[in-house]
Amino acid sequence: MIPEAALAETARILGPRGFLHSAHDLSLYEYDGSVDKHRPELVCFPRSTQDVVELVKLAARHGLPIVGRGAGTGLSGGAIPLAGGMMISFSRMNRILEIDLPNERAVVEPGVVNLDITLAVAAEGYFYAPDPSSQRACTIGGNVAENAGGPHTLAYGVTTNHVLGLEAVLLDGSVIEIGGKAPEVPGYDLTGLLTGSEGTMALVTKIIVRLMRRPEAVKTLLAIYDTADDAAETVAEITARAIIPVAVEMMDGMLLRLIEDSVHAGYPRDAGAVLLIELEGLTEAVEEQVEQIQQVCGLCRARELRVAKTPEERELLWKGRKNAFGAVGRATPHLYTQDGVVPRAEVPSTLRFIEKVAAEYRVQISNIFHAGDGNLHPIIMFDMREPGAMDRVRAAGEKILEHCIEVGGSITGEHGVGMEKKELMDKLFSPDSLDLIRRFKQLFDPECRLNPGKVLPTGRGCLEIRQRPDDLRY
Amino acid sequence: MICPDTPPLLAQSLADLRSARTTIRLGGQFTKDRIGGRLVGEGTPVSTRNLSRILRYRPNDLTISVESGVRWSDLQQELGRNGQMIPLDPPWSGGCTVGGVVAANQSGPRRRLFGTARDCVIGMTFATLEGKLVQAGGMVVKNVAGLDFGKLMIGSWGTLAALAIVNFKVFPIARGTRTFLFESASLAAAIECRDGVLKSVLQPLSVDLLNPEASAALGWNGFALAVQAAGAPPVLDRYQAALAGFRVIDCAVWDRIREFTPDFLARHPDGVVVSKSSTLTGVADAVRELPGPVVSRAGSGVSYGHATHDVAPNMEKPGGFEIMERIKRMMDPDALLNPGRLHGLL
Ligand SMILES: Cc1cc2nc3c(=O)[nH]c(=O)nc-3n(C[C@H](O)[C@H](O)[C@H](O)COP(=O)(O)OP(=O)(O)OC[C@H]3O[C@@H](n4cnc5c(N)ncnc54)[C@H](O)[C@@H]3O)c2cc1C
Repeated sequence: MIPEAALAETARILGPRGFLHSAHDLSLYEYDGSVDKHRPELVCFPRSTQDVVELVKLAARHGLPIVGRGAGTGLSGGAIPLAGGMMISFSRMNRILEIDLPNERAVVEPGVVNLDITLAVAAEGYFYAPDPSSQRACTIGGNVAENAGGPHTLAYGVTTNHVLGLEAVLLDGSVIEIGGKAPEVPGYDLTGLLTGSEGTMALVTKIIVRLMRRPEAVKTLLAIYDTADDAAETVAEITARAIIPVAVEMMDGMLLRLIEDSVHAGYPRDAGAVLLIELEGLTEAVEEQVEQIQQVCGLCRARELRVAKTPEERELLWKGRKNAFGAVGRATPHLYTQDGVVPRAEVPSTLRFIEKVAAEYRVQISNIFHAGDGNLHPIIMFDMREPGAMDRVRAAGEKILEHCIEVGGSITGEHGVGMEKKELMDKLFSPDSLDLIRRFKQLFDPECRLNPGKVLPTGRGCLEIRQRPDDLRY
Repeated sequence: MICPDTPPLLAQSLADLRSARTTIRLGGQFTKDRIGGRLVGEGTPVSTRNLSRILRYRPNDLTISVESGVRWSDLQQELGRNGQMIPLDPPWSGGCTVGGVVAANQSGPRRRLFGTARDCVIGMTFATLEGKLVQAGGMVVKNVAGLDFGKLMIGSWGTLAALAIVNFKVFPIARGTRTFLFESASLAAAIECRDGVLKSVLQPLSVDLLNPEASAALGWNGFALAVQAAGAPPVLDRYQAALAGFRVIDCAVWDRIREFTPDFLARHPDGVVVSKSSTLTGVADAVRELPGPVVSRAGSGVSYGHATHDVAPNMEKPGGFEIMERIKRMMDPDALLNPGRLHGLL
């Protein structure tokens, strides 16, 4: 329970309409895009860094846990307030503060929606490269917390490669400004350290991002295959020939049919898999690469290759991909998306492994991969009301991630560890590595009040440490 | 000199030295002793040079894992056999080690297109003073599990821990490159020319600006803007058509541009390099204000001046300095690791 005094102070900071605390309102903030939930006790909507500072100090006075929230599209439970307490929603800190094209930078508040940056600079021929499929909804603050990726990160890199500086509020209420518009600052790269820290070390209140010049030409191709193996082989062959597409997305047959049922992107219903390949650059470079891709696809038994001829056709090819999750959502009461990564060459064998897991655990799995960089999104479809289903789904998911670790990959490529995958962390990292993560967390958040219960496995997190003050010497 | 030949031995050496409260001079081949701030005091040298194995390289995965003492040139040679490369272009390329390049965050001309170690290191293992080996990242190009300690180590100049293993993503070697040069008596004209390139749809690998003193050393006149492009012949022809006012020159010049600082320091025993990081619009001022011959990564915003005598670096305390100090104290409470490096900042 939030003490009355704390509510009164919140009202003083944010005004009567700046926060929510009725049971009904709070229930809207108990979940994100993942399958778990937990209710916050107070949801605050700051409008400025100063508001955030006041809220953080207030939370400190009352010993409240704090969780930041962007758009709540996270898929690893990052924004779920496991310990209740105060949620700080950045939805009202959504201004683009500065667009500086001569320096290829923008300065934005954390609540700015990812796509809005690109929309703001598109007319001048620029764009913001990281493009999570949720880019119409998710926020830059959430992207920074999760180090979000997207289809085009194959060529352009993920969020951390495009974030040059941050303003952040620390747990003692102090504000730091790290990094900057210039590419190098003296000292340690705190911007790089905080990016991807899953909202567990500081609250980000301002972000300096890189803007890129939009390439002259774009070509989008859809290669259609009878088997997923052939599609996977194409990806390997593209790599071997030193072609660098900006995106290589793979969707399996089940997913194609679900997408067609829902958005009519014109995908073939009877295919085993498709690859969505995009090339960007100078016209001459793109033309040449399209030819090469055509050769590779033929060699790898693609049964058809469609090349979008107009922007509308290109939109249509992407429409299915961008709405894939929604399409699956229509077909099943619940879905659970995984985010494992495998070395590129292991994509075909991993696909077959997933098929076996689906059979073994009696679950349906459709696959959408960022195939170019080995980032898999098997989507497990199920009905939570069916007794035992959730357990089978979690077990199947874990099995797949263990496979990813075994072949030298990772348990998460872009969605974050969150609460969902934290128990797998000690299969990926040594105890000493996890211990250093814990000590950094503690350095930023000694009382473990910021987004507690995430990232580190139970027993290695900071909650236990509170009971062992002898460990607190740093 | 202590030269451990496995990562666990490296960790053990650090722990032993720490128990003895010994100052540690950490490096690979120690090629960069004259940049980044001089070591204070003597220090027991610890070198990673015997950590020289290539641990895992599967060309089709476009990744490689190597020990930190592998020479940069050996790494590039190994990759080159498979038509691959890591486009960092660090100075001292002939002698330096992988660990040194990454710890000192060295980059070069192709930074405009490919970025820095921040953008191509995908994982690492480092040894702490407590004698532990810590992993960050991994062997896949996309990975958000755990804190990104790699970013912290890149550019830490061996003041936090010792790199033992570094994993990179690798790139195919371009089928061809062509280099274009624009010379002008006026800095403003050279900057305007650069702006034209950056605002265009061209995607050059390198956009370097040299002041007259630096350009003279390469046999050019006035301010020189050197642009490098990669691709198949039709692509390169397109660049040539678009870059009116430029002339085509031999690509071999990039080796000399990359090695400009090492060459200068070799000729001037008391010489120092002064670098300045700025926005793109700040490049003109940087080129004007830095001493001696200036080579600027004018498409990125990092410029290097060269003075024949020592000048005190302007080390303003960066934002978040207090946190940096706490990180330093946590990793190295007795300030034993490379004191004075990072210009004595931390
Ligand atoms: C249909 C769909 C498709 C998706 N596709 C992709 C994809 O292609 N690539 C990808 O990477 N992800 C994808 N995601 C996942 C998700 O969109 C990303 O993780 C995104 O970055 C989350 O942003 P958000 O604003 O919704 O953050 P939230 O879910 O609200 O929060 C995520 C984390 O960020 C923290 N946080 C938020 N704001 C701040 C702040 N200002 N300071 C500190 N911490 C903060 C929260 O505490 C939480 O830990 C997808 C999700 C959906 C539903």
